[in-house]
Amino acid sequence: MFLTKEQQMMLDGEYGFAIAKLTKLVVKIGEVNDATKLIPIKNAQIAGVSYFTVGDPIFSFFNMLSKDKVKVSVPSWLNPAGMDMERWEEMGVLESFADKQRRIIQHYKEMGIETTLTCTPYLIGHQPKLGDHLAWSESSAVSMANAYYGARTNREGGPSSLASAIIGYTADYGLHKVENRVPSIIVDVNTSTANFSDFSALGYWYGEKFHGVIPYFKGIKNTHIDQVKMLGAAMAASGSVAHFHIENHTPEARKVDMNYVTNIVSFDEKDKKQVYDHFNQIKEDANLVVIGCPHSSLEDIQYIHSTLGEKSIKEGIEFWIFSSQKLMQTDDAKKFLTNLEVKGVKIFTDTCMVVTPVIRRNYKNILTNSAKAAFYLTRDGTNKVNLLSLFEIMEGVSE
Amino acid sequence: MKTIKIRPIVEGSVEGEALVSPIPISFLGGVDSETGIITDSENPLFGESIAGKIFVFPESKGSTVGSYVIYGLSVNNVAPLALIANKAETIVVAGAILANIPLVDKADQDVTLSIKTGDKLVIDTTEEIVKIKKVE
Repeated sequence: MFLTKEQQMMLDGEYGFAIAKLTKLVVKIGEVNDATKLIPIKNAQIAGVSYFTVGDPIFSFFNMLSKDKVKVSVPSWLNPAGMDMERWEEMGVLESFADKQRRIIQHYKEMGIETTLTCTPYLIGHQPKLGDHLAWSESSAVSMANAYYGARTNREGGPSSLASAIIGYTADYGLHKVENRVPSIIVDVNTSTANFSDFSALGYWYGEKFHGVIPYFKGIKNTHIDQVKMLGAAMAASGSVAHFHIENHTPEARKVDMNYVTNIVSFDEKDKKQVYDHFNQIKEDANLVVIGCPHSSLEDIQYIHSTLGEKSIKEGIEFWIFSSQKLMQTDDAKKFLTNLEVKGVKIFTDTCMVVTPVIRRNYKNILTNSAKAAFYLTRDGTNKVNLLSLFEIMEGVSE
Repeated sequence: MKTIKIRPIVEGSVEGEALVSPIPISFLGGVDSETGIITDSENPLFGESIAGKIFVFPESKGSTVGSYVIYGLSVNNVAPLALIANKAETIVVAGAILANIPLVDKADQDVTLSIKTGDKLVIDTTEEIVKIKKVE
């Protein structure tokens, strides 16, 4: 791989042991993927935050980094943690867990990383621009950055995104190169995608069938950002799909080279139903509703507020929404947050149903409108889930 | 003695005994970073330790923070001597670099078939080869 003089000095240890290690990490990942150079990144989004997912080994790594007092060299922000940083006790998180979680976040903070604790940085002012090179790691955020914004990022891991954030470079391979961003499959969507959960079902269906393959969707009429984020998140979860195009909607769709399309498939009513049937696992009553995978926008929450109207959540049912603290601190949010809490809707920030330990530990039967959440919660067999539209959920759990 | 060609990723020359996983390994949730013991109940090596062994596996899977588990193994002095994969992915590349564990991949054959648990191996990343002394 070609390295500039500065990059070679970083690799050779001129800037300390930690920088040399992290540079080697990025260079080697590049070499394994046939990259010939490093490219500068605009910013980084870093996963590996929840103590539930990283465990104790991360502290050894932090110790190595803190000896050299390394800091990030580009704007960087964090994925969700394993708990609401303020209301963790209410969630059922134990003190021992909270203590480790706070330490992890403190380490990241000391490296100069903004503790956004969200999987949707683009909802809090961090929208990437067309053509930007990034090192993002949260799989749904990666797909939004590539598809919805036309920025360029591979599906980084927690360690590689952190290494890139610190050294300021990533290796030039995969989705950083135009030729790797072309679709191979056209998907004709022949059924309604009126509900957010329909977008989620489409994404889940596609990802499961066509692992890692970039699709070009036709026939999708509405593409509100909240719908596209459901689609991308589900595809990334079931099939590691990191990029996609939607005809007439996503920024690269109009100009993208269609000459590499080798397959045309259709998504029909029966395919959609199959996904809902797969996640129709609860026969008795559910005791928990989880919304906000990816993190809810203000519009998502406003919809719940207006659908609820004069009604409240039924006794015996927990209704949890996950979002980011930054969004919930806005004046717009404050207008309806108190009212929702009175009616039994809890809005937790900084975390989500996938990365907190409490859902697997304390709950069994769960309702959600997100196929990604359904996929992760049922994967180890602990939880049973029904995937429903938000309207159906609200109808069932309010009175 | 058999010799196979490999691609070196993290350099190092070591001799040791092979421990072969026939299925992909998830380091996060599949290996205990404090003991080196394989905790994935679906793996035939369940309950065995990769500490001090040359660990041979087809590829890694699961969470990318598995790299921190590999680093944790070395901090806790229970790291494998070296790693041989059919295909080294980001998780294992990042982990091996952080932990400074020799890593090779892309042999000219399926290493999980040509190497058996207990075989004596010599890895030479300068010559880009692995020598296999079959167990009797």
